Amino acid sequence: MSTNSYKFSRRDFLKLGGGLAALAVADRMFPSLRKSILHPIDVVSAQNDYDIFFAGTDGWIHLPETPAIPPFHPDVLAPAPFTTYVFGFRNVSNMSAAQRLNQKMKAQHSAPVFWMDQYEKTNTDFKLKLTNLGLQIRPDLTDAHTVHWHGFRDAIPYFDGEPHGSVAVPPGKEFTYVYRPHEPGTYMFHCHVEDVEHVQMGMAGMVFVRPSQDGTSLGGFTKFAYNDGDGMTGFDREFSMMLTEMWAEAHWADAHIQLPEWSDYHVDFALLNGRTYPDTLAPNGSIDPFNPVYDANGDMIPTPGYEHLQYQPISSLVNCNEGERVLLRFANLGFMPITMTLDGIPMRVVGKDATLLRGRDGADISYMTSNILLHAGNSADAIFTAPAYQGPGPYDTYLLYNRNYKLSNNLSAGGLGGQMTEVRVYPAGTLPPQTLPNT
Amino acid sequence: MQTRFNLKKLLWPVVLVAVVLFSLGLGRDVAPATAQAGGPADGIICTDGPTFNLNTRTGYVLTPDGNVVYMWGYSAGNDAFQHPSPVLCVNEGDTVTVILHNSLPYDVSISFPGQENVFADGQPVQPQFDAGVLTSLTNIAPKNGGSITYTFVASRPGTFLYQSGTDPAIQVRMGLFGALIVRPAAGSYYVYNDAASASTSEFNHAVGAEVMTLQSEIDPYLNQAVEQAVMAGGGPISFNMANYHPRYWFVNGRGFPDTIAPNFASWLPSQPYGALVHIEPNSLANPLPYLERFLNVTSQATPFHPHGKNGLIIGQDGNPLRGPGGEDLSYETFALVSTSGQTYEALFRWYNREEYSTSNPITVTDPGWQNLQFGPYYSGSPYLGETGPMPPGFSSMSQCGEYYIISHNHALYQLTSWGVPMTGPGTFMRVDPPGGCP
Repeated sequence: MSTNSYKFSRRDFLKLGGGLAALAVADRMFPSLRKSILHPIDVVSAQNDYDIFFAGTDGWIHLPETPAIPPFHPDVLAPAPFTTYVFGFRNVSNMSAAQRLNQKMKAQHSAPVFWMDQYEKTNTDFKLKLTNLGLQIRPDLTDAHTVHWHGFRDAIPYFDGEPHGSVAVPPGKEFTYVYRPHEPGTYMFHCHVEDVEHVQMGMAGMVFVRPSQDGTSLGGFTKFAYNDGDGMTGFDREFSMMLTEMWAEAHWADAHIQLPEWSDYHVDFALLNGRTYPDTLAPNGSIDPFNPVYDANGDMIPTPGYEHLQYQPISSLVNCNEGERVLLRFANLGFMPITMTLDGIPMRVVGKDATLLRGRDGADISYMTSNILLHAGNSADAIFTAPAYQGPGPYDTYLLYNRNYKLSNNLSAGGLGGQMTEVRVYPAGTLPPQTLPNT
Repeated sequence: MQTRFNLKKLLWPVVLVAVVLFSLGLGRDVAPATAQAGGPADGIICTDGPTFNLNTRTGYVLTPDGNVVYMWGYSAGNDAFQHPSPVLCVNEGDTVTVILHNSLPYDVSISFPGQENVFADGQPVQPQFDAGVLTSLTNIAPKNGGSITYTFVASRPGTFLYQSGTDPAIQVRMGLFGALIVRPAAGSYYVYNDAASASTSEFNHAVGAEVMTLQSEIDPYLNQAVEQAVMAGGGPISFNMANYHPRYWFVNGRGFPDTIAPNFASWLPSQPYGALVHIEPNSLANPLPYLERFLNVTSQATPFHPHGKNGLIIGQDGNPLRGPGGEDLSYETFALVSTSGQTYEALFRWYNREEYSTSNPITVTDPGWQNLQFGPYYSGSPYLGETGPMPPGFSSMSQCGEYYIISHNHALYQLTSWGVPMTGPGTFMRVDPPGGCP
């Protein structure tokens, strides 16, 4: 977390003529900026009073334009190449104050994934700072935001983010949540203010707690989902699979100063890590939670050729070598039950709702399946062993998809769209060890 | 949206309704309060058996958006209409007798899912047919004054539903349902007969540590159609079930925030059952979990999400989760899913784990009320049993710095009441400081 990883350094920025012009103006208007711009300091330092810094704001993302859902989708207000209004979180860690404020109207979907070690290992508080940048498209709304860590045991209201029994963060303000996670597993988080709206609008993401057992060698593994004592949850690669839904009318309504009738809710788009197939296969943008990459203005940098996914940076493509153990971490923050099917590779569900599947007396209640059912607010940890590579292509392909086919193709022609991705199995030794989840 | 989240704005229509209700001698509040007449403020209110006289009743319930909905119910003896119907409590092995008197202009019955060898007027219950057409899932009490007597032996402990077996698509949704609790021979603070097991179902003995979470739903257009048909003296109900579409979702017959009002709250005259969990933190001195008995009479599977703790599901439909060798198959979850018609029991613990206090403060600086939006149940302090500065004019429901930690249906479009967010199927776990509020 201590390396500066800006895509452009501030020195690079100075080399840009346009930047110089902007600076000339800014320098005259805001003399106080001069010091921070002309004398860049390493803001990525131990001086941060947080481990990760999120901003809550609004933004635009891209979903398949066809078939259209008039008048709701695509939203006529959306600037190309985007289609859909969202609320969301942005990772503004390590940014200058000016860069951070620039991120209004630049929300990410789904929210950044982050993780930390179990408290028993670190004995260190994990601090998540939240700022509220306001809503650019809805300046009439002064919605507060919170971060609710869904499933965190023994949370006190102050750090739980539920606004009735606690506090929320109004526009322009900051608040820091402190976590001492004692229970490893796969969790999710979301804003809990007006939660039916803010969750539906996109303020939802995943968080993992890594077990204190990590780093020890058990059953041939050093990375684990839980403190299993025997390595049964060990894995070589891990992938987050954030499941969310979009009801086009609700998103349109928020952009157009309207109110949806929530009891009319239905699913128009089902998303995997904030994208629909085949965009789910597209490369990752900046996903390292502790070393976010952004341009000089703090904005997200689109991958060339995938400009429409600028604010949907999380890939769902599962790459692995034959014989490797792969952990799929699922979390459902849609409102409907979802069954995810993996064709051709059996999975063992080893954890649910951030709990190792063992009875109180130690009975193993994990199970094999090809279909994982997740209701709204459930998480699950499924492990599979990549089968032998068969060829003849560079990799073998297996599909992971929502068994409610309507939600794996979003009504689109040709089976495009929806909660679907591919597991690609390569010959042994093809891929180097994984360094980040979802890579 | 702020315009809908701001509780003060949300409360304005409620206040207007309250003014009207006050003129009728009724009040409305959402603060957990002390016990009212009729029983303890918190926890399950049992109607004890094993013999029950149930009468059909009609009446009205209040919804969180200020609406009033016509409903049916079973009431015990001469009791007025109530929703949901009474919680029938019996002991394992009891011979249970339920005498149903039907004053509705429609045939009505009671089915007892999960019970075996149920008799009606001395004969085994049977589905009812008229010229080969199914007319009721079980034997009926005829309309306009008929009666029937059901008997069965409560052979196994657990949590069960009882509900109308006649035209259930309408009658159950109209409110003809309730909970049946069979307490085990092991004792009233066990769910099942596992006192000798290391993995017991013993729960906290405190009042407010055994609660019911009975989830239901209402399509107000159906209830309106039934009301019109009843006012016309019975006969066809003008409602196309293909158009059935719930707009309200309830816990124990109330929608949040009414769910946290005490049992028998005077301002909810026909909705006597609260859903507030009321505990002190678990500790070495207070090790037993609290118990929630879940019942689902909605038309869907519902995921109920408790903040701040996982639920340990120990039994389902009156069956302890045990393997053939007695192994413990209970499991933890933070989104407790019950399918339509299902019941289960879950144990919960909540520890004040970090024991933050003024002498062991949180490791960040509190921004202060000037920089935060306070929730109506926030005490002004992060610490259990402490209160802190409040914004001017702000009124907190907190009595002594106790914690309010929510549980709610996570199919969030259902956590609404015909469009009003953050109402409906939710409730609080109230955690008092050790020793309780002074």
